Amino acid sequence: MHDGPFRQRLKREFESRRAANARYSLRAFARFLGTDHATLSQVLRGKRNVPRLRIRGWCERLGMGPEETAVYCGATHPPDHRMAEALNIIGEPVHWQIIQLCNSAEFRADSRWIAARAGCSTDFVNLAVTRLLRLGLLEMRDPARWSTVSAASEREFRATALARVNTHG
Amino acid sequence: MANPVSQFQILSKEPDATAAFYSELFGWTVDAANPLGYRRIDTGSRDGIQGGIWPAPPEAANFVQLFISVDDVEAAAQHAERLGAKILIRPTVLPQGEEMAVLLDPHGMPFGIWRSSRK
Repeated sequence: MHDGPFRQRLKREFESRRAANARYSLRAFARFLGTDHATLSQVLRGKRNVPRLRIRGWCERLGMGPEETAVYCGATHPPDHRMAEALNIIGEPVHWQIIQLCNSAEFRADSRWIAARAGCSTDFVNLAVTRLLRLGLLEMRDPARWSTVSAASEREFRATALARVNTHG
Repeated sequence: MANPVSQFQILSKEPDATAAFYSELFGWTVDAANPLGYRRIDTGSRDGIQGGIWPAPPEAANFVQLFISVDDVEAAAQHAERLGAKILIRPTVLPQGEEMAVLLDPHGMPFGIWRSSRK
């Protein structure tokens, strides 16, 4: 079982809830997930594995689609190539950020510009751009404009991306 | 047009450390002041080819890729496909006008095709 990516996902979800409401507690998040806060605390700190039988239920409560849930439930260690691609594409929000930036009016075809807006390194952006290109989720046909797969939401994007992983993998 | 090998690309999980190592060892200069932040290597010689460094994904091993110059990237990619290659990254126009594609030859080795920016 390779639960690191799912742990990261839980952490990000908790952080985003905290960002929206500073009083949102770990206890509240645990209640939302249907577990006790001691277990959740240990999971988030990496002191305890994500309880295997709980992953599916937690994915559902977090509103993940069936494709994404299947990836987290099936993650193995070490991940094979296809699994690594799937975990990266759903586990790293930068992919969706790039898609959104490409479709924004102020877009600049510049990894450094994207990195500054996404809050990560240029190398990290370039890794994600390479992955998006490989999966056909991004196309560069013009030096100044990058076109992307159409997706109305991050969830829709992830489902499309996972389908591409399965066909391109 | 002939199709020379025109570039080498080092894919490294530690691009900065790789750049520092080869710069120290061979006196190469590395310049990343371009829109992709691509670490362009200048070997300081007109002999041989120049190259660059690109980040490798965490799940991959470090490796070197060769880029071969072509007149028409789309046509060369299609030709390679007919000969049994697989296109990994479709013809892509980079921010400074160069065009490239990355393919897997029928025996599993990745390589790139490349056209410099139109004058």
